[in-house]
Amino acid sequence: MTRLRRALVSRPVPAVEAIQLDGSELRLTGAALIAGGAALQLSPVHVPILCPLRALTGIPCPLCGMTTSVEATVRLDLEGAAAANPAGIVLVAAAITILVLRPSVIRLPAPVPYLALAAMWLYELHRFSIL
Amino acid sequence: MSTADPQQRPPTSFPGDGPSGPRASFGRRLVAYLIDITIIGILSGIVYAISKPLSNVAGFLVYLVYFTLFDGSARGQTIGMMALGIRVIDFRGGGPIGFGRGFIRWIGRVVSTIPCFLGYFWALWDKEKQGWHDKIATTVVVPVSAYPIDKS
Repeated sequence: MTRLRRALVSRPVPAVEAIQLDGSELRLTGAALIAGGAALQLSPVHVPILCPLRALTGIPCPLCGMTTSVEATVRLDLEGAAAANPAGIVLVAAAITILVLRPSVIRLPAPVPYLALAAMWLYELHRFSIL
Repeated sequence: MSTADPQQRPPTSFPGDGPSGPRASFGRRLVAYLIDITIIGILSGIVYAISKPLSNVAGFLVYLVYFTLFDGSARGQTIGMMALGIRVIDFRGGGPIGFGRGFIRWIGRVVSTIPCFLGYFWALWDKEKQGWHDKIATTVVVPVSAYPIDKS
């Protein structure tokens, strides 16, 4: 990580090129995501987690439904996962891929996260009948 | 040496450009958070099942008590942070923040969550790697290896 940071700091930061993600941290995050999704099945009842934004304004954010979606994906309930937020399925699939292939670095073209968030937001706004 | 003062740390190799001392990486903070919300999710489910009339308030109370107690504890660690070897310290003095500021930091967490977790993502580009909840409570999240827990 320090080498990465030095490389990024010692030269002018490129405008919008690629986002570099460290492989070991991604594996840790992926493992925590899948383990968390599995552990949440232990909860005796599904508590509707009150997102402050949605509670206050009724507007969902792009990440709305992600906990439900990841939990359902781990349970192999893909239908339920897609209904909550299809990105949860993508996220769990990405986590499994990263855990299996063990890449040292992942480079994402900079627009990818923004386009993904935009698509997720459209889906959620549609789900809550705002669009 | 016990809990060091971030202000008195030797300068980093990039003076004026990076944080004033070692900081926990965003990845570690994210994994710690995933662990914490999983635990909170299960605990709220249990509390909810026992106390149905309280409804959603139960989950919210678990969320409040969990972060206030753990962030404010002498270790400055939630269970997720213990697993990842990171802790919350006072930005100025370097020590634990106490339950009062643990509660303030929890309010900060709610604020950070509202615009789609923007306050959490803030730590990615902030000079001192602080999220909004860190700024509100004047805290930083650091690796235990650089800022060991005071055993006394």
